[in-house]
Amino acid sequence: MTNPVANLQRTAAEYKKMDQKDQKRFWSDMILNNALYILMAIFVIYTAIKEPSFRTLGSLANLLTQVAAYLPLALGIAGCIVLTGTDLSAGRVVGLTAAVAGVFMQKSDFANKMFTSIPEVSGGWIAATLLIVVLIGAAIGLVNGFFVAKFSLHPFIVTLSTQLITYGIILWFFALNGNNGQPISGLSREYKDFVGGAMFRLGGVAVPRYVLYAALLTALMWFIWNKTTFGKNMFAVGSNAEAAKVSGVNVFMTTMLVHTLAGAMYGYAGFIEGVRAGSVAASTGLNAECDAIAACVIGGVSFVGGTGKISGIILGVFVLRIIFVALTMLGVDSSSLYIIKGAIILCACALDMRKYLVKK
Amino acid sequence: MDEQSKAPEQEQTPKFRGLYRHVNISVKALDRIIIACIAVIVLIVVLEMRNPGFTIVFDSKGGTDVPAQNQMYGQLLEQPEPPTREGYVFDGWYEDPACDILWDVEEDIIETDMTLYAGWQKIE
Repeated sequence: MTNPVANLQRTAAEYKKMDQKDQKRFWSDMILNNALYILMAIFVIYTAIKEPSFRTLGSLANLLTQVAAYLPLALGIAGCIVLTGTDLSAGRVVGLTAAVAGVFMQKSDFANKMFTSIPEVSGGWIAATLLIVVLIGAAIGLVNGFFVAKFSLHPFIVTLSTQLITYGIILWFFALNGNNGQPISGLSREYKDFVGGAMFRLGGVAVPRYVLYAALLTALMWFIWNKTTFGKNMFAVGSNAEAAKVSGVNVFMTTMLVHTLAGAMYGYAGFIEGVRAGSVAASTGLNAECDAIAACVIGGVSFVGGTGKISGIILGVFVLRIIFVALTMLGVDSSSLYIIKGAIILCACALDMRKYLVKK
Repeated sequence: MDEQSKAPEQEQTPKFRGLYRHVNISVKALDRIIIACIAVIVLIVVLEMRNPGFTIVFDSKGGTDVPAQNQMYGQLLEQPEPPTREGYVFDGWYEDPACDILWDVEEDIIETDMTLYAGWQKIE
């Protein structure tokens, strides 16, 4: 880790040596490279002035909750991006696992219970369900990983097809046992408490338990990325698969594992999604991968491959969420938010390329 | 960008690795893209900010006019002035013209543009 203060001093010393033209370029470089952060800062300050409710602790709690909900997906997808790939199936995997978790966690006395033979919800059953949905996610990830690793197919192709196939399975699942596509609701109190129960309150707004889980998952991912051979191999494969192979890295295994791990993260995200939304519908998780990919790119997980930090991903999710919370408070319609999201992704990619070119 | 005409003077080694390896773009062009994206985002936000929110129109159905309100998503209505009508007593605002679904001014939050209809009870 480099010391940020020393870095700043060095930059300041370099800046003093520059002539006027270089100084001008230094500033324009800095403004452009940090354009999205500056934009976020402007939105936040403006919203804070305009909307007093944005400055409250409750709004911070709301932001934390949202970040915790979107973080697992971004952490999963980031690994695929480090391998110069991507994962388009993330959102649908969340939808499927949310549906499975929802069915397993329905109240036993709920009139519309999909499978009456499913046991009453208890602590052990919740743990088993979590394990099952994580395994389902991991299995889909494994399929993605296998095709990408074995045949060097581009992840776009593989994950697009698993996305569609998973959606088909979701629709099948919702049609099971006379359910005929109804949303899955009537989630049991124990499940809701386990996932969304209030840990403490910030400014009157409850902070749910999954904020803690997200923090634990982040720590786990940090450990995997930075302290394990698998993590180091992942970056090696991402920056140059050929070179990694020559130096003895098992590229096939690494690629499979990255996708499997990503799938497991989507499985977890699905587990909390039902509680977050109150019920699960066939459309649950739609386009969730777009937000996750955008967050990763904003956070410096480059499409160039082989670069990225967990702290960057957290920052990316945070920036994206805070922009959306602020914009929603300013009354920006959700339809415009899609256009803004698109512009943010394009801008983040351009920034990504720009940093790479300038460094070269 | 005109990529074909630039191709011959391009060096053999690609500029990027990974997902961008076929991209052929200059820093100048990237700067323009970044600035354009930021401009689009700011423009949309400014345009949206001029949008005062959802419009709630009151149809007093023969009673005295009640001015429309503009409110943001998730907010409550400001208590509208109750309309009056000859021979009727006003009994609240409804979401449907048939006056079946009552709109609770103190509880219900606004989620869209809408028209509320006055409910009238005939004085016997």
